Amino acid sequence: MTATSPRTLADELRSRSDAELAGLLRARADLLSPLPGDLSQLATRAGTRASVLRALERLDTFTLQTAEALAAAPQPCQYPVLAALLPGGEEQLPGALATLRARALLWGRPEGLRLVRTAQELLAPSAARPSGTGLGPTLAETASGISPSRMQDLLARTGLPPTHDPVSALAALAALFTDPARLGDLLAGAPEQSLSVLDRLAWGPPYGEITARPGPHLRWLLDRALLMPTAPGTVVLPREVALHLRGGRAHRELHPVPPEPTARAVYEPAAVDIAAAGAAGAALAVVEEMLGAWERETPAVLRSGGLGVRDLKRLAVTLDVSEPDAAFWLELAYSAGLVAADGEADERFAPTPDYDVWREQPPGRRWVRLATAWLAATRVPGLVGSRDAKGRLLAALGPGLDRGPAAELRLATLRLLAGTEPGHAPDPEAVARRIRWELPRRLPEEPRARMCAATLAEAELLGFTGRGALASFVRPLLDGGAQDDRAQDDRAQDDRDREGEAAARLAPLLPRPVDHVLVQADLTAVAPGPLLPELRQAMALAADVESKGAATVYRFTPGSVRRALDAGWTAAELHAFLAARSRTPVPQPLTYLVDDVARRYGRLRVGAAGSYLRCEDEALLDEVLADRRTDGLRLRRIAPTIVVSASPPDTLLARLREFGLAPAAESTEGAVLTLRAEPHRTPPRTAPEPAPDAPPGADETLLSAAVRAIRAGDHAALDTPRAPGGRTPGGRVPDAAGPPPRTPAATTLRTLQAAARSGALVRIGYVGADGLAAHRVLSPVRVEGGFVTAFDHTADEVRTYPLHRITGSADAGQ
Amino acid sequence: MTGPLIVQSDKTLLLEVDHEKAADCRRAIAPFAELERAPEHIHTYRVTPLGLWNARAAGHDAEQVVDALVSFSRYPVPQALLVDVAETMARYGRLSLLKHPAHGLVLQTTDRPVLEEVLRSKRIQPLVGARIDPDNVIVHPSERGQIKQALLKLGWPAEDLAGYVDGEAHPIELHQEGWHLRPYQEHAIDGFWHGGSGVVVLPCGAGKTLVGAGAMAKAQATTLILVTNTVSARQWKAELMRRTSLSEHEIGEYSGTRKEIRPVTIATYQVLTTRRKGVYPHLELFDSRDWGLIVYDEVHLLPAPVFKFTADLQARRRLGLTATLVREDGRESDVFSLIGPKRFDAPWKEIEAQGYIAPADCVEVRVDLTDAERLAYAMAEPEERYRFCATTDSKRRITESLVHRHAGEQTLIIGQYIDQLDELGEQLGAPVIKGETSNAQRERLFDAFRAGELSVLVVSKVANFSIDLPEATVAIQVSGTFGSRQEEAQRLGRVLRPKADGHEARFYSVVARDTIDQEFAAHRQRFLAEQGYAYRIMDAGDVLAAGGEEELGGV
Repeated sequence: MTATSPRTLADELRSRSDAELAGLLRARADLLSPLPGDLSQLATRAGTRASVLRALERLDTFTLQTAEALAAAPQPCQYPVLAALLPGGEEQLPGALATLRARALLWGRPEGLRLVRTAQELLAPSAARPSGTGLGPTLAETASGISPSRMQDLLARTGLPPTHDPVSALAALAALFTDPARLGDLLAGAPEQSLSVLDRLAWGPPYGEITARPGPHLRWLLDRALLMPTAPGTVVLPREVALHLRGGRAHRELHPVPPEPTARAVYEPAAVDIAAAGAAGAALAVVEEMLGAWERETPAVLRSGGLGVRDLKRLAVTLDVSEPDAAFWLELAYSAGLVAADGEADERFAPTPDYDVWREQPPGRRWVRLATAWLAATRVPGLVGSRDAKGRLLAALGPGLDRGPAAELRLATLRLLAGTEPGHAPDPEAVARRIRWELPRRLPEEPRARMCAATLAEAELLGFTGRGALASFVRPLLDGGAQDDRAQDDRAQDDRDREGEAAARLAPLLPRPVDHVLVQADLTAVAPGPLLPELRQAMALAADVESKGAATVYRFTPGSVRRALDAGWTAAELHAFLAARSRTPVPQPLTYLVDDVARRYGRLRVGAAGSYLRCEDEALLDEVLADRRTDGLRLRRIAPTIVVSASPPDTLLARLREFGLAPAAESTEGAVLTLRAEPHRTPPRTAPEPAPDAPPGADETLLSAAVRAIRAGDHAALDTPRAPGGRTPGGRVPDAAGPPPRTPAATTLRTLQAAARSGALVRIGYVGADGLAAHRVLSPVRVEGGFVTAFDHTADEVRTYPLHRITGSADAGQ
Repeated sequence: MTGPLIVQSDKTLLLEVDHEKAADCRRAIAPFAELERAPEHIHTYRVTPLGLWNARAAGHDAEQVVDALVSFSRYPVPQALLVDVAETMARYGRLSLLKHPAHGLVLQTTDRPVLEEVLRSKRIQPLVGARIDPDNVIVHPSERGQIKQALLKLGWPAEDLAGYVDGEAHPIELHQEGWHLRPYQEHAIDGFWHGGSGVVVLPCGAGKTLVGAGAMAKAQATTLILVTNTVSARQWKAELMRRTSLSEHEIGEYSGTRKEIRPVTIATYQVLTTRRKGVYPHLELFDSRDWGLIVYDEVHLLPAPVFKFTADLQARRRLGLTATLVREDGRESDVFSLIGPKRFDAPWKEIEAQGYIAPADCVEVRVDLTDAERLAYAMAEPEERYRFCATTDSKRRITESLVHRHAGEQTLIIGQYIDQLDELGEQLGAPVIKGETSNAQRERLFDAFRAGELSVLVVSKVANFSIDLPEATVAIQVSGTFGSRQEEAQRLGRVLRPKADGHEARFYSVVARDTIDQEFAAHRQRFLAEQGYAYRIMDAGDVLAAGGEEELGGV
C-alpha cells in the first residue's frame, strides 16, 4: 500500500501484489468466470450481492463477527474503534481483518477501514434483516421520519439546548449518545422500569412493541430518544444506546477462538489404524459383494430415476446391513463410477466396465478409489427415503440427492480430525460445535449437524477412522488441495502421489488373503481370513455361506454340492479341490457327501427330441442306424430299443417308408395311429369382401340430404355469384359474421335432430383442430352415436362432426 | 494379528482350538459367549444379549468383554459390534428387584425413563402394584418370576437382588469314600452356588446327579428334585443313598405310584403335570414343605406347566441340570429367566479328554432299500413316509447283523416304533422295554442288563433319559423322533458312561438311504457333530461284507 489511502476497492486492488490477487481469485473462485477485464471490473464483480453472499458463507465465526461489528460501526472505521467493539478478540483481530481483506470484503488503511458496500448492506442491522450482533439501526437512521418540532422536543427533554435545524439537533443528540459520561448521567435519572425495558432490548432483538398509549416508563424513554418509534406500535433501541448499555461490545458472546474438539477417547494410534484398516477391508468386501449381486440380477431404474425402495430393501438384506447403510454403499459405488444405469430402453443398474478394472487393482488402490470418490462427492445418501420440497420420494442413485456444501463440510470435518493428535477420537458433539464455528453461515443449523454426524459415521464405515480417530493412512489424502501456485499438471501429479502413498500405507494393514480353508466334520469349512478371489468363487459355488465377516464360514450341503456338479465339476475334481485347499484332512462325512450326491447326480437325464423310434428288434434298429441314408435324420440311440431323432414324426415316417420300411405312428398315449391322415382344413375363415371400383350406393336419407344440400347451395349461388376459382363461404353462409352460436348441449342435440328430420339448414359453431370455433352451415342427415352426419354447405360435401366439438347451433334462416 | 479368535460381524466368534492362546481365549470369552459348535478345528461361539446379561449377572462388565474380544482377535473387531456389546450390557441392571422393608418386593430403577417405558408395557402392567416413588414400584412376590420373564422379553432384564429364603434346614453330607467329586463337578457346584440359581450343562454320563448332590450338601436344606420319570427317580434315590449321608427314610418318591413327602423328595414331571378337572392336583407339593433347593433334572425337557409353577418359586434356589440347552420348542430364554442363567458348561470332548466319559465312535449306516421297498416308499402317503422308511425290513436285517457282530457286548437297540422294536426283539430273542412295561419289570430288566445276564436290550424312547446303564457299550438306533437333536444326544449319552476297561463306546444310527429318514438323521446328528462327535458314514453293504469287528472299527 502506498502512503496515500486508496479511494476505492479497485484502487486498493491495484496496489496489491499478484500473489495477493491470485489468493483472492482462489478464495472466491466465482470471480474467475467469466474472467474480469480489468481490476475495476474485478472490484465491481467482487461487490455483487451473490458473490459477497458466497464469500460471507465461507467465513468462520470470528471473521464473520468482525465483519458484523464493522458493519455496525461508522464507516470508515478506525482500527481502535473496531477493536473496542470486539473486546477479547484483540489478538485474533488482525488475522480476521487480513482474511476479510484477502477476500476483498474489506479495504482501506487501518485508520479508515471500509467494508465493501454490499457486505455492509447485508450485515448491517436493519428492520428486515436482524444482524448477528442484535444491534438496531443508528439514531440517524431511526430519526429520518421525525418532524423538526419533535426533534426540538427531544432536545429539550434530554436537556440539550435547542438548535435551529433538525440536522444539528440530530448531531447534538448523537454526540450525547456517543459520550459515555453524559449518556450515563442521563440514564442515571431514568426510572427503574425504564431501565429494565432497556436491559431487555440491549442484547437484541432491539425491537419492542408498545400500545397506543404507552406507560410513563416508556414515555420517559421515547421522550429522550432512547427508544425511537419505527412504525405504529413498534419501537427500536438506537444502536448508540445499545452499545453504551453493552459496554461497547458488538456481540454478547464473542468467539475469537475456535472451540477445541475434545477427545472422547484416546487409543493407541496403531490400534486405530488396525481398526480402520479392518473397516476398509470390510468396505471393499461389501462393495464387491453388492456389485457382484448386481452382475446377475440387475435392478430396474425407476422412471423418475434412481432405485426402487424394494430393490434397496433387497440389497440391504443381501448385504446384511441397514437400509441407510445400503444406500451409502450404493451411492459410494456410484460416485466412484463403479455402478451406473445402462441406458437401455428398459433401463437397469449394473456395474460399469470400470468395475472390472477396479476389481483387478490391489486392495489399497481399490480403497483409495472409493475414498477419493467419497471425499469429492456432493451426493448425500442420508437423504434417501426423505421427500423433496415437492413431496417426491428421493431414491438412492436418483436425482435430487446433491447438496453443494456436502464435500466442503466433509473435508472440513476430516481436516479437523486430522488436526487432532494421532489416536484421539474427538467427541462428535465437539466436532459439530467446531464445524459450526468454522462455517456458521454455510448451511442451516440442522442439516449441517446432520451432515457432520453423517460424515463421522461414514468415515467409520469406510475406514477413514477407526474407533472414532483418524487413521494415519488417510492423512496423505487430506493433505491435498494445498493452496499454491503450481501448475495444474504438477498438482495432478501430486494428487496421484498422495493417493499412491495412502494406498501403500494401507496395504500392509489390510488382512492378508488366505489360500486355504479348514474343513470340519460337521460339514462346515472356515476360511480364516479373506480368500483369494478364485478360491472364494470356487467356495461360493460348492458351499453355502453361513457367516460373513473377517472370516467366512461355509457349509456343504447336498444342494451346494449339486450346484458345483451343475457348474461342470466332477466328483473327482471336487475331492481334489478340497484336498488341495483344506489345511485339515478332509473329513469322511464330506467325502461321503460328495460321492453320494455325485452317485445320484444325473441318473435321470432330460433332453429334447423331435420324434422317437421304438423297436423290440434291436437288430432292426442296428440296421436303420447303419444305413447311410438315415444320416440326415440325426438319429441317436439312447437305449437298445429306442432311437430318437431331431426330425418331426411325419418326416421320419416318410423317410423311413422311402427306405422300404414299414413304420407305424404312435399317438401320445402309445396307440398306433391309423395312417390315413385327416383331410387338411384351415381354421374357421370368413369369405373375402368384394371390392368394386364404384363407391357403394347411398341410402335414401343421404340421397335426400344431398339433394337438399345441392338445392341449398344453388339458392346461395343464385343470391351471390360464386367467385371464380374458389368458394366464398362468407357469401354462401348466411350471417356468418359475429360469434359462433353457443347453446347448451341438449338444445344443440335437439336442434340437430329436428333439422335432420325436417331437412332444415342449421348454423353451428364448430371447434376445429386449431382450437378455434368457426361457423358451419349444415343440413344434418343423421344424428347418432355422438356424431352428426350432414351436408356441409361451407365445405360443399358430406361430413361427420363429433357432437362434443359443436359449440352450439342456431337456425340458419334462409 | 495372530490371535486365535475371529470376530464375525454376525456376532459369532470363531476360535481356532489348536492355537497356543486358545485356552486363555476360551476362558476369557466363556462368560459371555455361548458355545454353539465345537467340531475339531474351529469352535463357534455366539454373542447373544442373553449371554451378555449372563456375564453382567456374574459381575463382568462391558469393558472386560470388549477387551477380551479386542485382545484375542486376529482381525480388527467391527466397531459396530463393540458398540452393540456395550449398549446391550448397559441395559442390564437399570432395573432391579429388591426386598423392601415395608412393601415386600419392589422393582427399582436407576434410570427413570426405562421404568416409564416398561410400566407402559401391557405385559408389565398387571404384574406391578402401586408406585411408591419415582424410582420404585411394588411387585407382588408371587409375580417375581413373571416380571423377570416379561422384562427380559422387553429387553430390560432385571437384576434379582431380592435374595433367597433358606428353607427348612436339613443336614446333608457327601460321603466321599473311595470316590471324589471330579474337578469339573466342583466347579459346577461352586459356579451354581455363587450365582444363587442357574443351570449346569454337562454331557450325559458326566455325573450330573453328583452335581445335584453336591448342591444339596451346600444348601443343607430340604430339597425337591424334579425328574423325568419313575425309573430315573429311583436311580436318583439310589445314588443319593450311596453318595450322601441321607438314609432311605429321608428320601421320598412322589410319583404315579407313591406319594411320599420327605425332607428330600423326588417327583416326576409327569405327576406334577397330571391334570384333573382342569386343575393340577399335585401342585401343592411345591408348598407342602419349606423347600430350600429345587433341582430340575433334564431341564431341556421341563414341561410348560412346570415353567408356570417355577415362576412362583423365585425366592427358592433353583438348580437346572441338562446335557443340552437345546430346546426343540425354543424356550431357552424362559429357562434363563425362571431357573437362572447357565452357570457351568463344558464341551463334551473336553470331559472325554479328561477320561470322565467314554470315547465314542459314531457310525451312520446307510441302508439301501430294496427295489420293492423304494417303490412302496415312493407311493406312501406323506405322513406315513417317515414311519415306512424308518421301519423297513432292510434296516432290520442290518441291525441284526450289527448285533451279531457285537455279540458278547452289552448292546442297546433304541427305536421309536413299537412294532419295529417288537419284531426286532422277537428276531433277536431280546426283551423289549416300552411304555406299557411296568416299572417293576423295567427295573428287573435293567438290573439284569447291568449284571450282564442280558446282553441285548431293545428299548423305546422311555429309555431316552436318565437311565444309568454303565456297561452298555453299543447302541443301535433304528428310528427316532423325526429330527430331534437332543434325543440323539441323550441316546448317545446311554453309552458314554466310562467303561471299566476304558473300552470305546459305539453308536450306530441305521438310516435308509435317499429317504426322509436320511434327512432327519442329518438334522439329528447336527448337535453331536457340533459337539465334535463326527459321524462316519458307512454303506450297509460294507457292514455286511466286513469280516469281523476289527475290520469294521478300522474303517
